[in-house]
Amino acid sequence: MRILVCIDDTDNLESRGTGELASLLAEHLEVSGWGKASYVTRHQLLVHPDIPYTSHNSAMAFFAEISANFLPEFMTYAADFLTHESAEGSDPGLCIVEMGRLKSGSGLISFGVQCKQQVLTKAEAYAKARDLDIHLSEHGGTGQGVIGALAGAGLRLGGNDGRLKGQLRFDGKDSALSVAQLLAHPHVDAVRTEGGYHLLPIESVRLHDKVKSVLRGGESVLLVEPDTRGVAENCWKNLSRQQLKSY
Amino acid sequence: MSDVWIKDEDGPKVFTAGRLAWGAAAGEARRCRGFRPDDEDEWVADEPCSCYNCRYRRWTAQSFTCQKS
Repeated sequence: MRILVCIDDTDNLESRGTGELASLLAEHLEVSGWGKASYVTRHQLLVHPDIPYTSHNSAMAFFAEISANFLPEFMTYAADFLTHESAEGSDPGLCIVEMGRLKSGSGLISFGVQCKQQVLTKAEAYAKARDLDIHLSEHGGTGQGVIGALAGAGLRLGGNDGRLKGQLRFDGKDSALSVAQLLAHPHVDAVRTEGGYHLLPIESVRLHDKVKSVLRGGESVLLVEPDTRGVAENCWKNLSRQQLKSY
Repeated sequence: MSDVWIKDEDGPKVFTAGRLAWGAAAGEARRCRGFRPDDEDEWVADEPCSCYNCRYRRWTAQSFTCQKS
């Protein structure tokens, strides 16, 4: 069965980040033999004076294929994990969506989009989770992280928000790789420009800085732009971190 | 304190140059003894040593505040 997991508000100024905890959770699911996890994505939520957040207000999400008989065990583990591993002063929230039971995908997605635009409450998050038959729980502090956890799940499901956690690594870094080579990476589904031009497999991309992909159309997309300093004709380069800021 | 900051009596320092002042944010971080890089997934500036990549910056709608101040 397919599940969607999202956590939020697990850190403080000195602790490891929510992304690291999400990766550890995904890793544990796999090493326990419960299932297989996807990549983790980061979703930026609203920055507003009325929202208590540590420094950036982002949630972290991943999909997983899990054997149904291991789901209760995973849910217990995830709850305990957040309770014990979240930082002092944080307000962790956990959202687990059983995709087969989800009553309305569009309802979840719209909650995520709404959460990027306006201040929502815990009561609203719990009500939405109840309506959609989604597990939502808090594991310390005020539990305010349930709002971001539910919203992050919606944004991941929508497939058009956020960046993949971590960076993509290739053997040929600092040299140009063909699009076919880039697409061979398990976490690259498409290579295109922001304008929507999909590069041909024979075109080449010069990789520089940290190579990161974004979530667009439900795919991990490596965004590129013309490489004006490239020696070869029709050469492209990946967008830099600054250029990916808004994703 | 350079002129890109303002500080209320009790509040943290506010970076007045906004969210896209890449050069100023890098310059301030180079001069800051409290700079500490955030998780790389939270970096937004190409220059690693930048207030924009510091774990003590707290984003606001227009800019950020420095939690070390």
